[in-house]
Amino acid sequence: MRIISYPALVLVCACATAVFAADEPVNLPTPSSSAQRLYASAKGDLLQLRVLLKSGRTQSSVGSGFLIGTGNLVVTNYHVMSQIALEPETYVGEYVDTNGKRGAVELLAVDVLHDLAVVRIERKGSGFFSVPDKLPALTQGQYLYSLGNPLDLGFAISEGAYNGIVSRSFYDQLMFTGPINSGMSGGPSVTVDGRVAGVNVSKRLDGELVSFLVPVRYVRDLLKKVAAQKSPPGDFKPVVGQQLLEHQSAMMARLDKTPLTFKVLSPYSVPVWESDQLRCWGWSNAKQNKPYLIDQVNCAMESAVFVSGQMQTGRVSIRHKLIRSSDLGAWRFAALSSSLFKNQSFGSHKDMRFTPPQCVEEFVDNGKLPMRAMICARAYRKFPELYDFALLSASTDESRMSLQSRIDINGVSYENGLRISRIFLEAASREAQP
Amino acid sequence: MSGPYFVETLARNGDVKQRQRADALPIRIGRAYDNDFILDDRHTSPHHAVVEFGADGSLQVRALESRNGVIHKGRRQTTLSLDGNAVFRLGHTNLRVRSVDFCVDAETADTTLHGWEGWRPALTGLTMLVLTTLAGVWISDTEKGEAIRYLTALVAMLSIGLVWSGSWAMVNRLFEGQMRFGRHMFIPACGLVASEVTSLLIAIAAYAFSLETLTRYDNHVAIAIVAAMVYFHLITINPNRTRRFALAAVLVSLLGSGLMLMVNYQSGGRLADEPYMSELLPPSLRLSADKPVSEFLAGAEQMKADLDIERGRDVGNDGEGEEEPE
Repeated sequence: MRIISYPALVLVCACATAVFAADEPVNLPTPSSSAQRLYASAKGDLLQLRVLLKSGRTQSSVGSGFLIGTGNLVVTNYHVMSQIALEPETYVGEYVDTNGKRGAVELLAVDVLHDLAVVRIERKGSGFFSVPDKLPALTQGQYLYSLGNPLDLGFAISEGAYNGIVSRSFYDQLMFTGPINSGMSGGPSVTVDGRVAGVNVSKRLDGELVSFLVPVRYVRDLLKKVAAQKSPPGDFKPVVGQQLLEHQSAMMARLDKTPLTFKVLSPYSVPVWESDQLRCWGWSNAKQNKPYLIDQVNCAMESAVFVSGQMQTGRVSIRHKLIRSSDLGAWRFAALSSSLFKNQSFGSHKDMRFTPPQCVEEFVDNGKLPMRAMICARAYRKFPELYDFALLSASTDESRMSLQSRIDINGVSYENGLRISRIFLEAASREAQP
Repeated sequence: MSGPYFVETLARNGDVKQRQRADALPIRIGRAYDNDFILDDRHTSPHHAVVEFGADGSLQVRALESRNGVIHKGRRQTTLSLDGNAVFRLGHTNLRVRSVDFCVDAETADTTLHGWEGWRPALTGLTMLVLTTLAGVWISDTEKGEAIRYLTALVAMLSIGLVWSGSWAMVNRLFEGQMRFGRHMFIPACGLVASEVTSLLIAIAAYAFSLETLTRYDNHVAIAIVAAMVYFHLITINPNRTRRFALAAVLVSLLGSGLMLMVNYQSGGRLADEPYMSELLPPSLRLSADKPVSEFLAGAEQMKADLDIERGRDVGNDGEGEEEPE
């Protein structure tokens, strides 16, 4: 049984730090005749995008990209370009085409939430890939061909099937049951007649051939934005920060629309949000031979917004844990519940991406349940108005029962962090909810 | 002042190392064998000084021919009046001369429990150690009755206790010629019980009255208890220096606390031992009133200002170029 609900989702960018087993044999299916034809016509507009360290010009991560129309704009994933967006003083980008020709890339726009970026190069496309206003309708089971440069081995095309829109991630993604490997990130997935269906973005590590594409409509929207802007932003950090702020408002709006569900951890009734994005998993130590019982409900968003290799944010997770015992006396139970409540981490004060956390703690009563509660918050140094929150609570009404909860809210405004905290503090109760 | 007289050699700490009676003046002091008081000190001359009556009739010491002279309170003297408490130095030797009619201090009351030695305190201490250890394991034992956990904890605690007490007993033996192991065993047992009891009381007080700060700094109480243990070990070794040892114990305690604060600050970025109070005691102990949720959240809202100030602070390599919201 899965006890943690975090998906083993990996972004398919061959970062030096990727959790990716590069030495596993890559079994690409034999290309069909349509794949051969597609590759032959697409290869002129297919690129590998590399992020290099400015000093030494050694590659730090690689991904793929494709030229749009006959212009000089290239679409790729944000996560391929994230280092250039956030640390332009350290990193620089270059492209390599299928003939081995290299050149500089200039970042024009990013869409952090859908994981897209547009860059400009000094070469023009042949017009093979186009993003028209009217987008192709896809039917489940339809063949899609995914292009890119897997594992920095060389350009490749792989075949798979379109399997609908997945609602598990916060923003729509297409499910592609075909092989996408590290390094193919940012490459196009096209229909048999060469129309772009989406951009390769990620795959599940715990499944076989379960990959995801960014729908092409977001590419169209981003290209429109690029056409409208006079010059690219000098510094992308405020742009990223702004998009993260938009994400947290969207997330909050969606949570507001999701009614709280109450799970019964008898005799308590605990609030969770359960939806397509926020999945709940249960766990219990019932079978283990212990003089106490732990029942746990974990709910977490299966997706997060990728900001950099070290930072994924815009996510909520909820954990409720009921500990009870009839064998242990009040004092031994107190020792047990204290030890389970102890040593919860709120991030290191040495982490330079955030300020050191600040915490408040108090014995509170919401009228239904007395609790010991604390809230810790830290601010993002690079992104104004964004904070991480952790709300911890433990019930203080029973001597041999303890309901301990932890709600983590990442990348939200201070106001929304407090709002979510309030919702949970006010909703916990002993009585059964209607 | 009349004879007979006593010439005393003193250790640096004032203890008498050697005492010699002289029936009449003058008392000749030096390295040569024709002296009344012979010094075995190569920094003194063969005829270094003489003790005699001065012109005013008082007892005095007069320097004779010597390279190093007679030193009193760091100064070289040719003659020095001796009132019975004056200590003078010849070469490396500290001397004091007292006449037979010298008035000694009053008798000090004996507060030492002479019966509390040997196996009694040792056994009591051991019993306390064993019981406290067993209680500690029992309270946190959430597995189903495994005797091995109790045994390993006992063995560990007893080994530590015996090594600690044994070391102090060795020091005692070295300086005072006796071990007093029983007492040195009893002291750490008291320390352990005291630290357990105080930490429990602190937790109860913090939980009952919502005084979270208490538990955040309770390690300093443990440090103070260790310092007190050291004090009691020291006065067991030498009961005559209580004031000096008390001062040393206070210093040890302050040093320990300072070190603890520094370690906390380095490793956790705060002075407190823990970021929040984790003790969850039986609810019947709660005495102060719980706060409403809104009041708690109002407190949480206050943190924003501090976080924003901290965000604006330049943190060097990665924090440069802080943007203001547009």
